[in-house]
Amino acid sequence: MKKKDIIKGIIVLLSVTLLSGYLLAQVYSLTKPKIEQQKKIEEERLNRDIFEEGVKFSEDNLKEIPCTAVYDINGNLIGRIFTSQVRGYGGNITIKVGFDNELKIVDVKILEHTETPGLGSKITDSNFIGQFKNKQGADLYLKTDSPTGQVDGITGATISSRAVTEGIRKLQEQLQ
Amino acid sequence: MKKFELNNLTRGIWKENPIFYLMLGLCPLLAVSASLKDALGMGGAFIFVLLGSNVTIALIRKVVPAHVRIPVFIVVIATFVTIIDYSLAAFSPQVHKNLGVYLPLMVVNCILLGRAEAFASKNNVINSALDGIGMGLGFTLAILVIASIREFLGQGTLFGISVLGKNYLPFLIMIMPPGAFFVIGFLIAIKNSFGGKKNAE
Amino acid sequence: MLNELNLGFIFLSAFLVNNILLIRFLALCSFIGMSTDIKASTGMGLAVVFVTVVACSISWAVYNCLLVPFHLEYLRTVTFILTIASFVQFEEIIIRKKSPVLYNAFGIYLPLITTNCAILASAFLGIDYRLNFIQNIVFSLGVSIGYCFAIVLFASMRDRLKTAPVPASFTGVPIAFIMTGLMSLAFLGFKGLFKL
Repeated sequence: MKKKDIIKGIIVLLSVTLLSGYLLAQVYSLTKPKIEQQKKIEEERLNRDIFEEGVKFSEDNLKEIPCTAVYDINGNLIGRIFTSQVRGYGGNITIKVGFDNELKIVDVKILEHTETPGLGSKITDSNFIGQFKNKQGADLYLKTDSPTGQVDGITGATISSRAVTEGIRKLQEQLQ
Repeated sequence: MKKFELNNLTRGIWKENPIFYLMLGLCPLLAVSASLKDALGMGGAFIFVLLGSNVTIALIRKVVPAHVRIPVFIVVIATFVTIIDYSLAAFSPQVHKNLGVYLPLMVVNCILLGRAEAFASKNNVINSALDGIGMGLGFTLAILVIASIREFLGQGTLFGISVLGKNYLPFLIMIMPPGAFFVIGFLIAIKNSFGGKKNAE
Repeated sequence: MLNELNLGFIFLSAFLVNNILLIRFLALCSFIGMSTDIKASTGMGLAVVFVTVVACSISWAVYNCLLVPFHLEYLRTVTFILTIASFVQFEEIIIRKKSPVLYNAFGIYLPLITTNCAILASAFLGIDYRLNFIQNIVFSLGVSIGYCFAIVLFASMRDRLKTAPVPASFTGVPIAFIMTGLMSLAFLGFKGLFKL
């Protein structure tokens, strides 16, 4: 291959790459604010799902565990939301737990999971995840795991149910 | 070739459908076909990238020396993939999340590189654009067919709307990996049996 | 998301539980098109292992040491694929010089590795999962060995398939997909492995 051809080739490739880089930089700067905004909207939507009267959210921590502090319309602190990960059956499960000021559970939301569709995926059903509302210092064990347990597991999805229950319980223990 | 041939558009949809006939670009097909909504998202993104890359490559085809054409094609394709990646993240975050890693993976989709090499580098812009749309539609058609079967059998819904009612016990395998393989195996077998009949006549 | 530093966990997850081919559907083109000969498949598999581990390591380094500090993350798709393509090209040149026999044995497979989705996916996932350098190496090792394992298994099964009575319209690709589906089903059984 003649030297001239190689150089021409490199120049073309370089210019295409530079042009591409420039174009992408433009697209990135255009979309970046929107992407950040979407993330914020999603976070707020989730936080408000847990605390209906929450209007202001700020980063905080309790006993060195990071969380989101929730304030109502009058500026009162009404609770805190913690995010944690537990190892489920098919992978990690990300949960958000909202505690009020007395460490009573306000609500729990499952953010992400890869549990078995139709079985473990039922952890997002309100029949299961709704059980944790208003529980405080309770025996957060599956009824089948402990005589004082208060949580009904999902039939056919014991490991998934147990994982979520353990996750919430451990979080609560850390905060006591 | 004539400046403008409609044939290029229709070819990609059925006769030379990239999936069922040419058997290219299978990876995203099976991964994103568990629900019709995701399939539509993937199809749309694919058409965008294929159209963009075909047009761009047709535009610069006379300037690119033969020995660097593959890297150049790859950079062009990667650029469009990145554009749709960030655009979806900004304007349709749910779709973007469901497509996951398979969206940037389009870069190595054989169909994109294949059409760039086989067509766009040798034809003018309009025909390349038509080819891109046609092949893109063919791909989208294929992925929608598979997705409708998988979602219908696996969840009893179409586009999230329950069709078979609450008492339907879903054929769960369908929305999991093995189901995808079975569906496409059967579909190609069915297509083969039609083709076989034609040959016999 | 992998929070565990446990390397064995990462490896098994990449190799079995989330097998790149049978569970994540990647690298199918090379899979369906080629695995008819056990020897060729093993060769291809090993070549992919080598390319994956090295290319993913380089990509990781490029991303974390070059792109991130300069806030150029959006260039990752372009840079990764260029890295992989150049590395394959580079490898091809070296093999051609050092061992023409090996080069001929690989034939067309070598440049084809560039479009192997598994390699690019491994690079992307290593970043998405926020793995550190060592974890990334183990991960890419798991992914590529998972690929190699799957295609060798498949090639040996296809061998048996040649003498089996298959309905006419199923011969060739369709029965290959059905078989892959069955293999995938078997690999799904590894899902509970996480509780090891």
